[in-house]
Amino acid sequence: MQVVCCLFMAVGCHTGNCIHGSRSRQFEHSPDPEIKMSTFCSLSFSLSFGIQDDHRLSTSELERKYGTSISEGLSSAKAAEILVRDGPNLLTPPKATPEIVKFLKQMIGGFSILLWIGVVFSWISFGIQLAQGAESPFDNLYLGVVLALVVILTGIFAYYQEAKSTNIMASFSKMIPQQALVIRDGEKKELPADQLVVGDVVEIKGGDKIPADIRLIFAQGCKVDNSSLTGESEPQSRSCDFTHENPLETRNIAFYSTTCVEGTATGIVINTGDRTIIGRIASLTSGVGNEKTPIAIEIEHFVYLVAGVAVSIGVLFFIISVSMRYKILDSIIFLIGIIVANVPEGLLATVTVSLSLTAKRMAKKNCLVKNLEAVETLGSTSIICSDKTGTLTQNRMTVAHLWFDNQIYSADTSEDQTTQPFDQSSPSWTALSKIVTLCNRAEFRPGQENLPIMKRVVVGDASETALLKFAEVILGDVMNIRAQKKKVAEIPFNSTNKFQLSIHETDDPNDKRFLLVMKGAPERILERCSTIMINGKEEPLDSEKAEAFQTAYMELGGMGERVLGFCHLYLPENEFPDTYLFDTDSMNFPTSNLCFVGLLSMIDPPRSTVPDAVSKCRSAGIKVIMVTGDHPITAKAIAKSVGIISATSETVEDIAKRLNIPVEQVNRREATAAVVNGMELKDMSSQQLDEILCNHSEIVFARTSPQQKLIIVEGCQRQGAVVAVTGDGVNDSPALKKADIGIAMGIAGSDAAKNAADMVLLDDNFASIVTGVEEGRLIFDNLKKTIAYTLTKNIAELCPFLIYIITSIPLPIGTITILFIDLGTDIIPSVALAYEKAESDIMNRRPRNKRKDRLVNEQLAVYSYLQIGALASFVTYFTVYAEQGFLPSTLLGVRVNWENNAINDFEDSYGQEWTKYQRTYLQWTGYTAFFVSITIQQVADLIIRKTRRNSIFQQGHNTIRQYFLLNSVWNRLIQFIHSSPSARFQYWFVAVPFAILIWVYDEVRKLFIRRYPGSK
Amino acid sequence: MARDKEKRSCGQIWAEWKAFVWDPRTRQFLGRTGSSWGLILLFYLVFYGFLTGLFALTMWVMLQSVDPHVPKYQDQLLTPGMMIRPCAEGLDVTFNVSHSQTWLHYVRALHQFLEPYNDSVQASRNAACAPGRYNEQPDDAVPNVPKRACRFNRSALGPCAGLGPPHTETYGYGSGQPCVLVKINRVINFFPGRNKSINVVCAAKREEDAALLGPLQLFPPNGSIDLMYFPYYGKRVHVNYTQPVVAVLFANATANVEHHVECRLRADGLRSDDERDKFAGRVAFRLRINRD
Repeated sequence: MQVVCCLFMAVGCHTGNCIHGSRSRQFEHSPDPEIKMSTFCSLSFSLSFGIQDDHRLSTSELERKYGTSISEGLSSAKAAEILVRDGPNLLTPPKATPEIVKFLKQMIGGFSILLWIGVVFSWISFGIQLAQGAESPFDNLYLGVVLALVVILTGIFAYYQEAKSTNIMASFSKMIPQQALVIRDGEKKELPADQLVVGDVVEIKGGDKIPADIRLIFAQGCKVDNSSLTGESEPQSRSCDFTHENPLETRNIAFYSTTCVEGTATGIVINTGDRTIIGRIASLTSGVGNEKTPIAIEIEHFVYLVAGVAVSIGVLFFIISVSMRYKILDSIIFLIGIIVANVPEGLLATVTVSLSLTAKRMAKKNCLVKNLEAVETLGSTSIICSDKTGTLTQNRMTVAHLWFDNQIYSADTSEDQTTQPFDQSSPSWTALSKIVTLCNRAEFRPGQENLPIMKRVVVGDASETALLKFAEVILGDVMNIRAQKKKVAEIPFNSTNKFQLSIHETDDPNDKRFLLVMKGAPERILERCSTIMINGKEEPLDSEKAEAFQTAYMELGGMGERVLGFCHLYLPENEFPDTYLFDTDSMNFPTSNLCFVGLLSMIDPPRSTVPDAVSKCRSAGIKVIMVTGDHPITAKAIAKSVGIISATSETVEDIAKRLNIPVEQVNRREATAAVVNGMELKDMSSQQLDEILCNHSEIVFARTSPQQKLIIVEGCQRQGAVVAVTGDGVNDSPALKKADIGIAMGIAGSDAAKNAADMVLLDDNFASIVTGVEEGRLIFDNLKKTIAYTLTKNIAELCPFLIYIITSIPLPIGTITILFIDLGTDIIPSVALAYEKAESDIMNRRPRNKRKDRLVNEQLAVYSYLQIGALASFVTYFTVYAEQGFLPSTLLGVRVNWENNAINDFEDSYGQEWTKYQRTYLQWTGYTAFFVSITIQQVADLIIRKTRRNSIFQQGHNTIRQYFLLNSVWNRLIQFIHSSPSARFQYWFVAVPFAILIWVYDEVRKLFIRRYPGSK
Repeated sequence: MARDKEKRSCGQIWAEWKAFVWDPRTRQFLGRTGSSWGLILLFYLVFYGFLTGLFALTMWVMLQSVDPHVPKYQDQLLTPGMMIRPCAEGLDVTFNVSHSQTWLHYVRALHQFLEPYNDSVQASRNAACAPGRYNEQPDDAVPNVPKRACRFNRSALGPCAGLGPPHTETYGYGSGQPCVLVKINRVINFFPGRNKSINVVCAAKREEDAALLGPLQLFPPNGSIDLMYFPYYGKRVHVNYTQPVVAVLFANATANVEHHVECRLRADGLRSDDERDKFAGRVAFRLRINRD
């Protein structure tokens, strides 16, 4: 029960101290103690044991417990001793699979097994034939060797490909060794963080990474960003007070790997390395099993299918040949021959090459694929569970709306804004802009003048940064403006006041008044105002104007934006001469009866490419679910603006509001959209979750903890969906691993997330996922084409062997010649098929149903072209023999005498007599002709395989030219090797009518498919 | 998928199978309803019917284009092959003089082979041709007129003709002086020797073994083959064509030794040393005469 609770709880609460605006208002109205409590709850049961009771202990008790002193720190000797005992303060890296195992895995997985079986069988067959003293047993030996080579080379190639992307990963994790400021032997020392031991006293300041789990003993304005641990995006304040029973909740502990955003603190290290909270989570991840990728399942399915077909045909013909009074040993050789002939020799290489080509192409589009097979998984994705922050949004606060002069103005929130289009002529704006500029502590880091404003690095919190950049865009050099209006006093923001205030000189030499500017939570600011500025004039703040303010505030807040109020006051010159000494502690200046100027609202705006990408997903039948730790209102607003919730759809709450009825009375099925709060999710049974996932097409999960992501993923998988999940935090790693395809963020992602993921988005952009989906679908389509192409030919190649057994004609095509086709002429067109461009409807189809749309299905396996193809080849074969003296009637049943070495006066249809060698030579000519014929068929096959639905007239035809070229080259080679006479030119044409027939037949078939989609 | 598999029990799998084979609810057999199966079968019937027709048609067209009298190409037959009679497994003539069952089948085979060469048969069927030149019989106006064959009399084979009393005739096998016939493969329109006389020569394959093999007697004398037996016009028009043979009599071959014998056709412009084809213009065989 407790474990379950662990998973279900942990509702990301952004603790009460959200700075300003609508959100803080929300909290004041619904002070829910549980929210705070549950933040870490998920971790608490399983992980809190490690924290012991350190948060309860007083400073002196701590000193005693860890044998340390707050002023002096540990002695170096003692520290060294503990270091030996506990080991360095490092997370044990996840156990890497040994390279050799990885390599061997490439050699024996999926297709390779099939080929290995082929190898073994060929060698067995070789052994039997050698023992029998057959005349050309070495064909089978070579066949085995070639097959083995194919597997090994492909394995090496695939291994190399994966190793390459692993290397890219490795370069990510390479970080500058972290330093920590430690007090040892009474001195402050900079030490590498991995040297820290329990009991060390460390000092941290804004910007530092917390070097271990520490119990704070001194803190000043300290805030930590726990997002890598919990997914919460809001910084949380830390102090040295014991505030909560739960060690994970209490304020006086800071956790390893989190970041100190601002302030300073000193603490005692209480846990290091793998014993830290993050270390425990990292080790938990390994408990979640990895799902088999869809393509792996497909390939398994394919292998079964091929093996099934091979064995059943083999056994069937074994029985036939035995009943035809062949020798048992011969029959066994036939059996093996048939099984080996079924092995698609070229396919393994083709699939590997195709996948890695696509992976390469995706890497260019910022999707780094760690596991080649993941390429295809992305294509079959039917649900994407996406993070909001950073993935859908730009991950930076930006001013979205302004309200002054009783009017709401929209600001440009795009990534590369250089101007702001709203009306800036009003004197109210001038006043507002002054407040925005002056009442702001954020500063640009120096030396960035050449960078675009949006890209510059700012020191300061998110809101202030947004305001600074906003002002910089409109007004230009803000730092200069501030310098001209010297700041004489300042009260920084704090959570009791909920405002920030500063007093400045003016830059007008004739105006000696001081300007007091203030910003903060709108309602707090309004309380302090008695007038309001309308069109540059101060007007009394009556109830009507207050009402207007309320409406605007509600509206902006309803858009999920963080709203700030701005007001100012020119201090009368007589009361406050320029020599006046302001004292911020006694507040010897007015802080009420100010003049309200306006509101500004900020949001982390969606990336500009995202709405388009979401609509692409939608038309591709992919459900996009937003899973965020953010507030439902913000989440919903972003969801709406990117199209995850479409403009027309409503949630249950919306319907209730519209119809003015209680939520309970709304028919839940009417609502297409749903915003699910993590709190609700916590209490849901899996059935309820399934119901939500089923009934609503547009879902946003808000205030969810990373653990709940796992539950959501499992829910989606229960629906039979192929689920892609994005994540960056350490806590996301279980979900990333559980998902069919885990996508980690390259920039924001933690190493643990990247390790667990199958793919890394180098630009953290949701749109890149969609490109990935497109590539993934393309590869599935193309692989399907390749396989269809290969299989068609494979069966056509098997046909002659079967006919040979049954009718005892001279063998139409030899093993080695078939190898030439499979590994020679057909490799290039197969790979070329993988390069085919997407069919026009690729992103307008539903994702494939993983139970129904198989890579190889019955329909594909019984494609009828193979019969046509085999027919054509046989006609060519009979033509060659007839023109050389053996009419078809003579050929039937000649096998035994034909292959008898002692018979050197074999009579043909014209009464001529042939030696064995002459017959063999003729047989090779037959091979060549058969080969030519098959390749001609393959041209037709290639043409029709290029598209599955579209007509060839709707696609290009570049590969065919290459194919012809290659074909003639190989043809020469095969003649050279057999030193047979070239297949007479006319034999090239025997198959042409058949090839045309295949093509016409297929175009008709495709026409039917397009006309009557959905029918079998 | 993997998840689903784990959850299913054996019974469920069996039930699923049964439902797949025959689903009483949807009346589906192997996943298809009766009408669906009917349609599918009809389709394949039509399709295969069409294919068979197509195959038959193209084969017919192809056969129409083939001349029944003379093959279109003879790429492989530039040098005719040679063979021996009796022809046993692996070109191996091994027998024991004292045990008649070891050579009786050779005798029977030779009898049978030489039947059409009987002088009487030759006289009644074939013409006496002018020796020393090709017996060319051009089609003047009518194509493919039947051609006359030249006589090859069995008696020309001398002691190897096997014309002794039927019950005592052994072609020398009974006395340890066996006869082996060498023949040249029929090849249509083949003119050997460029108008010069041709003959068959036989010898031990290795010169040092020649002494063991002893002298060989060839019939007709010198192993010569008359040019009048060429060319061959094909079995359709040259019905009674009698293939010339040369008999080799091993008069004094050492017993209980394996002899490797090679016979070649000596004709101007004919190569008999093809590395890959051991039977082009030559024939090699083993001979072993055992005596108790």
